[in-house]
Amino acid sequence: MSGYNTIAFDAGRCTGCGECMDACVQAKSEDGDLAHSRIRIVAGEAPDTWELAMCRQCGDPRCVQECPAAALAKNAESGVIDWNAETCVGCLLCTVGCTYGGIVWDESARHVIKCDTCGGDPACVKACGEGALKYLTTSRIYNEFGDLEDLFVPGLAGCQGCNTELLMRHTLRRVGPEVVLATPPGCVPGMGSVGYNGLTGSKVPVFHPLLTNTASMLTGIKRHYQRQGRDIVALALAGDGGAADVGFQSLSGAAERGEQILFVVIDNEGYMNTGMQRSGCTPYGAWTSTTPVGREAHGKRQDAKNLPLIMVAHRCAYVATASTAFMEDYYAKLERAIEATHRGFSYLHVYSPCTTGWRFPAQKNIEVARKAVESNFVMLWEYTPEEGLHLTRPADDPRPIEEYLEAQGKYRHLDADQIAHIRRHIDENVELIRNLCARPAASPLPARTALT
Amino acid sequence: MNATPASASLDRSAEPRDAQSKPKIMVCDGNQAAAWGVALAGVDMVAVYPITPQSSLVEYLAKFIAEGKIDAQLVDVEGEHSVLSVLQGAALAGARTYTATCGPGLAFMFEPYVRGPGMRLPMVMSIVTRDTLTPQSVWGGHQDAMSVREAGWIQMYCESVQEVLDTVVMAYRIAEHHDVMLPVNVCHDGNYLSYGAARIELPPAQSVAAFLGPKDVNWHVALDPDRPMAVDPLTGGAGGPGPRMFVNYRKSHCAGMHHALRVIEEVHRDWEAHTGHRHAGLIERYRMEDAQFAVMTLGSMTGAAKDAVDEAREAGVPVGLVKVKTYRPFPTAAVAEALAGVQALGVVDRSVDFGGGCGPMYRDALAALYRLERRIPSLSFIGGLAGADLTVEHFHRVFERTRALVGSAQGGDTVWLNEKD
Amino acid sequence: MRQTHYLIVGASHAALSALEAIRMADAENDITLVCRDDALPYSPTLLPYVVSGRSKAAFLRDEAWFAARRANYLRGCEVARIDAANGLARLAGGGAIGYRKLLVASGATPARPAIPGLADVRYHVLRTMDDAAALREALPCTKRAVVLGAGLIGMHAAENLAHAGAAVTILEREPQVLPAYFDATAAGLIASAFAQAGVEVRTGCGVERVEAAAGGCALTLGDGSRVPADLLLVGTGVVPATGLLEGSGVAIDRGVLVDDCMHTNVANIWAAGDVAQARGFGTQAKMLNGIVPCAVEQGRVAGMSMSEDPGIRPFPGGVRLNAYTFFGNRALSVGTAEEGEDCEVVTRIAQDARRYLKIVLRDGRLAGIFGINVGFDPGIMWELILRRIELGEAKARFLDDPQTTARALMSKRWR
Repeated sequence: MSGYNTIAFDAGRCTGCGECMDACVQAKSEDGDLAHSRIRIVAGEAPDTWELAMCRQCGDPRCVQECPAAALAKNAESGVIDWNAETCVGCLLCTVGCTYGGIVWDESARHVIKCDTCGGDPACVKACGEGALKYLTTSRIYNEFGDLEDLFVPGLAGCQGCNTELLMRHTLRRVGPEVVLATPPGCVPGMGSVGYNGLTGSKVPVFHPLLTNTASMLTGIKRHYQRQGRDIVALALAGDGGAADVGFQSLSGAAERGEQILFVVIDNEGYMNTGMQRSGCTPYGAWTSTTPVGREAHGKRQDAKNLPLIMVAHRCAYVATASTAFMEDYYAKLERAIEATHRGFSYLHVYSPCTTGWRFPAQKNIEVARKAVESNFVMLWEYTPEEGLHLTRPADDPRPIEEYLEAQGKYRHLDADQIAHIRRHIDENVELIRNLCARPAASPLPARTALT
Repeated sequence: MNATPASASLDRSAEPRDAQSKPKIMVCDGNQAAAWGVALAGVDMVAVYPITPQSSLVEYLAKFIAEGKIDAQLVDVEGEHSVLSVLQGAALAGARTYTATCGPGLAFMFEPYVRGPGMRLPMVMSIVTRDTLTPQSVWGGHQDAMSVREAGWIQMYCESVQEVLDTVVMAYRIAEHHDVMLPVNVCHDGNYLSYGAARIELPPAQSVAAFLGPKDVNWHVALDPDRPMAVDPLTGGAGGPGPRMFVNYRKSHCAGMHHALRVIEEVHRDWEAHTGHRHAGLIERYRMEDAQFAVMTLGSMTGAAKDAVDEAREAGVPVGLVKVKTYRPFPTAAVAEALAGVQALGVVDRSVDFGGGCGPMYRDALAALYRLERRIPSLSFIGGLAGADLTVEHFHRVFERTRALVGSAQGGDTVWLNEKD
Repeated sequence: MRQTHYLIVGASHAALSALEAIRMADAENDITLVCRDDALPYSPTLLPYVVSGRSKAAFLRDEAWFAARRANYLRGCEVARIDAANGLARLAGGGAIGYRKLLVASGATPARPAIPGLADVRYHVLRTMDDAAALREALPCTKRAVVLGAGLIGMHAAENLAHAGAAVTILEREPQVLPAYFDATAAGLIASAFAQAGVEVRTGCGVERVEAAAGGCALTLGDGSRVPADLLLVGTGVVPATGLLEGSGVAIDRGVLVDDCMHTNVANIWAAGDVAQARGFGTQAKMLNGIVPCAVEQGRVAGMSMSEDPGIRPFPGGVRLNAYTFFGNRALSVGTAEEGEDCEVVTRIAQDARRYLKIVLRDGRLAGIFGINVGFDPGIMWELILRRIELGEAKARFLDDPQTTARALMSKRWR
């Protein structure tokens, strides 16, 4: 079984221009009549909003099950629901089965029509200048890595809705069993990755380093295996506190020496495992249990340190930021990061919202993570000494920061001045990153950035 | 502040990797002797950070590795905390490791330092002993090593440059012994042994290799994809198997320390059989046969103390000396047996037990004396702090004060030797 | 004797849908399907198109499909009796299959109306591939055909016969054609299309008796008139094929009575599809709803229930649905056309009378929508009904342009 690519629609970006439908008609018919379009943009309930009806290429397609003539079938190769003009009898039962308006009668063509994704190169997506239509290739993760073994045991005890477990499992699955895994004190071992009282939480060699010495212990491990000629990934899954604060010295030292370590920081903006205390990565204004809100104080008084940029200053073999809401981007970076460990220190900084400490409902985690990126509160980029720094997701046209802040209880107390401070800080940060970005002409963006 | 090596020139012909079959005679200081010990011990990884008075040792190691005299990786890290962390990682991957530190460096290293013994990692680390801050000081004294005496490491103190070299090598056999599996500190005095040069005999590499046998570092606990395991899961809690497991870990650690008392003696005898170099393993009794009273010493002060004993004996003073080499585990039974016949005891410490207002070894000696049926009057002497010299003259004063206790029931207040120098 | 964990009697939409659902949750246990016909699975819905020649007897699935799901497909295997006490399906040809869990998806058989003389004459029905072949063979030499019953089978057959050049009369006891799906106005439009094609449609018309006549038979109607036919097709509906359950203890009304998980009153027996009588949407009354969309949904629910899939969503209740094409026209029916006091009904007929739209709202929610040659997505409308979505401010727009408005509602709510 495979996962498949899909056309995704972002209603928030659609302007109703209809270019997608024109492109579809151009690609799929001769007379240019919009009635032939396989993609149908319709006016939404609210003014100036737009909605979509088109085939979703369902995994469990009811149109296929309802067709009495076996004229519809899920193509195992492409994932597209193929329609067979030869066997179709025009009974319209497929249109009863589809709850998405994905297959419809074309009066002038005298048969049903549906999207076939133009063979994997959909004309509508290319025509959309607003970024409302995207051809997502996230299925790559499932197809390429779905069969790899999950190297954590079942039943890690994370908080409800926490994305860190997702990140841990994906990362270790991709890195594979030839690994030594360091999980310094924090949420990752707090979930039981190293285990309790003689029981282990993973299927690979795993240990608690001290909060302070993760990069150093991995140095010793990696160096000795290098001496023995064994190619083993020295992997850290660390929290932001252990990396940016008390563990920073050993992190910086290992990066400076170019130790061949893969160091993944899961940034939840504080010491969440121990009761949500502030760290150097806690943003300005945020409530934590040590930056409380009262008459005299209104959350953290300082901005977060930008640890990934500090790692860039070490000229690591690879540095990238990522978000649990953009796993395809993360996988691409993980790939490059693993590869970079053959040259030097490899650093991944992953923003992972904390349902418990940031105070938002458990089911909102991916949404909060996505809004953080879409508002430029955090930015997705990557760096190598050879290619410099570049964004892997455009920072243009960000969401209003209020949408991100309002999604979390930890910012509930913010006044207008504090929000202005945060907005100013984001602007400065965007400006700084943009200035650091390699010139597009000198360093073309890798192909995958076009997809994200 | 880094010290310049007392002898930067090396006798290349003494290279241990040569198929040399005879001992080489050379003159070097204690720091270089330790480096030669490392060279002979087949170490895989050395992690270092310089600190006075250890710095020349680090420099020798770097030089030996650069010249190929030591086939080991040098990891020159950003601080002592990382020094020990790197080596603990390497040991978990199966490496034989070495480092050295002292004073503030040891203090900074404290977090991984206290952790290593619980993981039963057989590592060797020299402490080039130095007094602790504050007052600000860069000179010798045992206060640094004494401050961590209850962290679960084996601690051995050297008297001479030769003993530094020999003990560094022997420490690996002790640490890696399956009944022990504990890290070892080889302590040699800052200034007096670190920079003091002496004639030494470098044993042939072949005989050292035969003495040490194959490496056996991580058979019991490993971070190795071929033997996946969780190292150091959370252990303890209010109920369930946790507290019981925790007690078992602590008890087996104590058992390892207990076994070490036997193993240290065996290893010293075996070293003598391989090299002809004879050192006491736990304690050395010097002219104790008919001694009316005794003094206890630790480290390099013992040389001056022995000279003083010889002079005193010639003058008819019935003094004997017990040198403690293995301070942790403390050889209580051996000390008690050695002191069974004396009528007074003076214990000379080069550090302070602030809780007792005496020297730390004095407290250990009292615990040993308690095993005897008789009550033996005793005095604590503290001297040689912050680089101060402990001379033959100082020991004659020690003898005089100690002898005065004979026949009395009590000891007396702690005597601070360099107070009025 | 063959033993199987899951036994599915039947091989059409409900059976296949159940098989897929079982395999989603249970990759291990044996599944066996038995099909009465010696053929690959097919859909009775396709048969009119086989008769017309538009479809070349397309089968729903092939052997590879069953192999990929590790299911045993036994063709030409008729189950005569279910021995529920012993967990045995006794076969018509002798022998038995032991099962742990049984799904009865045996479908329906043509109703045989109690008309005097009918049993003594030769007539066609259309439920099996063999029926379709026989009818297709008879088409070229048919000059005078009578279709008894103006249901979907009858209407399709009449159209086919007309295309083949026969003079066709449709006889329907009810006052309109397609009474189960369309109101009188729509039915009138449909009937007039048949009339324009030369088909005689006689509604409100009972048959007194049938007797053999030269080259065929003759029917005597309620008004005394006689209609001769060299081909008689009986399309007066179907009845659930429950015969195999006689004496099994499984409760049967008109069909096999099932709960919202398609479970019968016997612990390890389920039923789905045309044979089942399940709750209607929005009522507690149990109804027969012999349509493909309902069979697919019931099969899915039954499969999930049988395999104890924790993600099961119970059957929401049957909704009347159909899509019907005739002489190049399209008729769609979704939901109920009943017009209670709390209903708001909008009806539109286009000038040329070829287009018709009727919308029934109840409590501001869609209850039914019916159209002829009017574009809307029946699947979206069905879901609007099931989700009981309040149209609210979108109501006026919905009544004006149901297709676009429903798409917007869909996109916003469940796309």
